[in-house]
Amino acid sequence: MTLEKFVFGLILMFLSTFALAQERSNSDAILGVWESGNGKARIKIDKAGEKFNGRIVWLKEPKDETGKPKMDKNNPDESLRSKPLLGYSMLKEFSYEGGRTWENGTIYDPESGSTYSCTINMTDENTLDVRGYIGVSLFGRTDVWKRVTIKKR
Amino acid sequence: MIRFWLTIVLLFISICSWAQDADTTLVEEDFSMYADAELADGAKRFCTNKVLDQSPNKLISLGYDFQGSHDLNFGVWGNLPASNVRVKSVQGIRFSSNFPVISRANLLINLGVNFWETSYQIESSESHPLSAALQSRGLRTAGVAATLFKPLNEKRFILIQSMFDLNGDYSLPEFQSLSYTRVSPTFIYGWKKHDRLMYGFGVSRTFRVGEANLIPVFMYNYTAPSRKWGIESVFPARANVRRTFNTRTLAFFGYELEGQTYHMSSLKGEQGILSPELRRGELRVRMTFERSIKNFVWFSAQAGLRYPWNFNLDDGNFFRGFGDTPYTLENKLTNVWYFNFSINLVSP
Repeated sequence: MTLEKFVFGLILMFLSTFALAQERSNSDAILGVWESGNGKARIKIDKAGEKFNGRIVWLKEPKDETGKPKMDKNNPDESLRSKPLLGYSMLKEFSYEGGRTWENGTIYDPESGSTYSCTINMTDENTLDVRGYIGVSLFGRTDVWKRVTIKKR
Repeated sequence: MIRFWLTIVLLFISICSWAQDADTTLVEEDFSMYADAELADGAKRFCTNKVLDQSPNKLISLGYDFQGSHDLNFGVWGNLPASNVRVKSVQGIRFSSNFPVISRANLLINLGVNFWETSYQIESSESHPLSAALQSRGLRTAGVAATLFKPLNEKRFILIQSMFDLNGDYSLPEFQSLSYTRVSPTFIYGWKKHDRLMYGFGVSRTFRVGEANLIPVFMYNYTAPSRKWGIESVFPARANVRRTFNTRTLAFFGYELEGQTYHMSSLKGEQGILSPELRRGELRVRMTFERSIKNFVWFSAQAGLRYPWNFNLDDGNFFRGFGDTPYTLENKLTNVWYFNFSINLVSP
């Protein structure tokens, strides 16, 4: 192997590693804690393997009318109605599709008990357009989520 | 010796790993850290356009409306004496759509189209020009509706709605001139006090009683703390008490003022009339039942009393206001029961 080939190989390896790291950095931009448009919930988005999921980690009104923690009482699956909303996984199975888009996931609306197809677009580093839809994107609604920063204790 | 220590270390790691797997006790997660947080970049929060448990927005609605038999009494018109006919039924399909085209936290714009077809079945309809026109051509409404919801902050909002309707006895091949488009705008300034209450005051130009009116409006949407009862209303156009059985089953009791002014081109020249406008306005007192039949497809059934407000004929479309300009032809309808059912695709 000539020295030129060695250096060329090294540059290629460096560039591939850099591109891979950049891609990973873009895909992970969605990670963090977000507040829904109505300010009633905060959702923490995590990564599991190559998929992204989001759990409810804060509720503006965490208790129901009887003073007990809110449960998922509108879930169409009766066995899940006794599950607490806090910690509930409402975003599921999103995959990063390049650019600023995460697709092919679902979003669960605890207020109606409905699950929708969902696409997430990051409009800037602190804003997500979360579009829940039925079948095709036209039949849907976009909610704008804002990133929240957790204060240090 | 090295092998011995290696075996010991491996054994230790395995035991630790097994011990971790074996501990299936769920540790309750501490979520309290997420309470003490602030929006990045100091972003503003905005109120939403609905109260908790409000009935879902209908993206697409296809329905059928039916009124039973009743009398239509005509007044004196030129050389035509007063007379009456028996209306056997009034029925037709109603299609409407309403899609969010811009849906952001600080702005929501919905656009939709609607089409209503109303046909009349009248005994001895040829005895009067108006009943003959209604029997042979029916009434149609085709229109576009736009709604803008602009939240100003977490508590205050502006709601602007406008409808552009073509109403008349036209047919699709012989479409009515767009110069007969009737515009009904509404402006409301409101407050969202909390998740279960929003209200607002405004003004509306409406044809709901058949002819143009400029009226004050009061919007009031409320859900009781029990979340079993609520009110959805825009006075005086409509008001409903809502009973929520669950998020997929709702019932309403209330009323709606419904109407338009219809350009009746087939009556032009009758008794010297130049621009016939049929002022149809009616008060519908009704019960409505709505239920999700599969996911986002909802069924709605409604039944009630149709009380006639206006069914008179004017020559030209003008603003009568509180004036006493006489109608060209004064008609009276009798009360009738009606029902309406529809299949709807509702919004997330």
